[in-house]
Amino acid sequence: MTHVNTVLGTVPTEELGFVAVHEHIGYGMPGSELDTQWWKTPEQRYEETVPKLRRFHENCSPWGAATYVEATGICNGRDINYYQSLSEKTGVNIIASTGFVGGDTALPFFERASVDYLYRQFVHEITVGIGNTGGKAGIIKVGVSRGFMMKELDLRIYRAAARAAVETGVPIFTHLAVNAEPAVEIFNEEGLPLDRVLFGHADDGVSQGKVRQEWIADQGGRIGFDTFGYDLELPDPPFWGRHKKDRLDHLLSFIEAGYLGQVLASADANCSPLGWPGVKGHTVNYLFETLLPDLKDAGVDDAVVDRIFVENAADFLTIKN
Amino acid sequence: MTEKFSTATVNTVLGAINAAELGVVAVHETLRSVVPGAEYAYDITIDRAEVFEAIATELRAFKAAGGSTVVDASGMFHGRDVRMYEALSRSTGVHIVASTGQGPEAMLGGYFLTPQTNPPTPWPAEKWTAMFTGELVEGMVVPRVERRGVAGLVATVATREGMTSNDESIFRGAGRAALATGVAVSIRYGADALADLAVLTSEGLQADRVVVGGLDRSDATGVAAQVAAAGAYVALDHVGTESEGYLTDADRIALVAELIAAGHADRILLSASATCVSFGEPGNDVALDRVLTTFVPACKAAGVSDEDVQQILVANPAALLSVKGN
Repeated sequence: MTHVNTVLGTVPTEELGFVAVHEHIGYGMPGSELDTQWWKTPEQRYEETVPKLRRFHENCSPWGAATYVEATGICNGRDINYYQSLSEKTGVNIIASTGFVGGDTALPFFERASVDYLYRQFVHEITVGIGNTGGKAGIIKVGVSRGFMMKELDLRIYRAAARAAVETGVPIFTHLAVNAEPAVEIFNEEGLPLDRVLFGHADDGVSQGKVRQEWIADQGGRIGFDTFGYDLELPDPPFWGRHKKDRLDHLLSFIEAGYLGQVLASADANCSPLGWPGVKGHTVNYLFETLLPDLKDAGVDDAVVDRIFVENAADFLTIKN
Repeated sequence: MTEKFSTATVNTVLGAINAAELGVVAVHETLRSVVPGAEYAYDITIDRAEVFEAIATELRAFKAAGGSTVVDASGMFHGRDVRMYEALSRSTGVHIVASTGQGPEAMLGGYFLTPQTNPPTPWPAEKWTAMFTGELVEGMVVPRVERRGVAGLVATVATREGMTSNDESIFRGAGRAALATGVAVSIRYGADALADLAVLTSEGLQADRVVVGGLDRSDATGVAAQVAAAGAYVALDHVGTESEGYLTDADRIALVAELIAAGHADRILLSASATCVSFGEPGNDVALDRVLTTFVPACKAAGVSDEDVQQILVANPAALLSVKGN
């Protein structure tokens, strides 16, 4: 039996359907919960979130099911009970993360923790559950702190994640694909095949010139074109935005170069951001409303779309043990 | 003095009370201590009813020993639970003064140090001012849910090895918020108590609106008298802690006597820095009533007068905690 952990329990890989592999219900930096400028009523949070997920579910219907991988790490406003209610009411599979978006999003308790403790934290959340929710993590988030260079705490988290991935069979995805050399070294040392790792945000605007995508992919790593929709053409783009055409061309050339089997794509959108204004109008549904038509216009056939959003995603997310 | 107290008020979690009602005060304690992030640890369970009972037990013992008011001086991001403090105060009859404030830098969340901006510039003083003032005027935050009550003081800590630039931003924000609202600032000094105090006074805050904690550290020899001479309150706030890095209680008693002899009886404050419950690190396992049951009797035996004891336990905290300008 091949399966994944969703917040509502196991789901067979065959039932995942269309997968948005790097998304957020709501993300906020640790401490943002203390700043009332970002607070929203529960009504507002549901109002902002439910229609987007229902629309996503509808958009995914040709593929039979909708799966939303929630990339918010521990301390960043991750909220499993809330995801469970959203999943149950909208029909969208939600896969939650253990791990951290980066060392600079790990609060002091975890900053002080050893590799072994972090490993046990991750394994517990994957095999026993997150808090008292009963929901289990289906993937491990790791990442590079601000500044494009791995810090000591980032490395500790990567190593703990690698050990937890080897033990439990869940995959790892990264925030940023820059400074990948120490990451690859750790994964090799811990015996984790690189096809269990998605190097994310390879396509964002600020990382360009710093991502060795072929070097990663030639060793088996997967590459995430997962910030689709953060276009500089928007009225108020975020600092990691990029010209729409450049991002699309980047993806197309990477596929053209023979790496289709290692490509994953997503929008990294927030349904309802927790500690920042978010980017108005940007949702996971950009994938259907803009990206898929753009791919069609570029002559990409449906089989390639299925490969990226269904087959590659299912192979990556399946618990391997 | 007495007349002044009759009009001055103090912010407790159950509302403003007359400063004269405070009685015997413990000025630096922690009711509920949670290392930021520990609430997400896989092997830590925080049972609300058990936590309540553990804190209530300490508060009742404190009251039985003659205590009347406890200041929870750990700020807004180290386990503070305003709703629970309200219920504890109602249940035990002990006044609880809660604090706003954050720090030192190592205890901050990434939101303050590496914001989602390019570059990720850490929070400047004016943002801290706004956050602390909000807690002093509009109410203390229950994260993403509501504001409740108002804080009674601002509490912060400088990094032990020396104040960092981020600590300094917090200190300046604390000073400005205190100046704007009339509350006091409680600090734990880093490497240089007078310099840390000077950061606050450079914002225009009077030294007598500041209590400097940590002055019973063993590396603080001679500093307490200097802080008192500068006009700030001197907190010997680890009564009952005799581990490495702190004075023994016998040495603390000698220091109290010394400060009184130097004419600083009106600057001295005592507390235990007890943590009634602690998650994520070992707590300071000293009883909340330690000052009253053990230390004060020993001070009296060593010749400290009843009048000075009253000054230290009642009058000094009342003056410190009174909101100025109301």
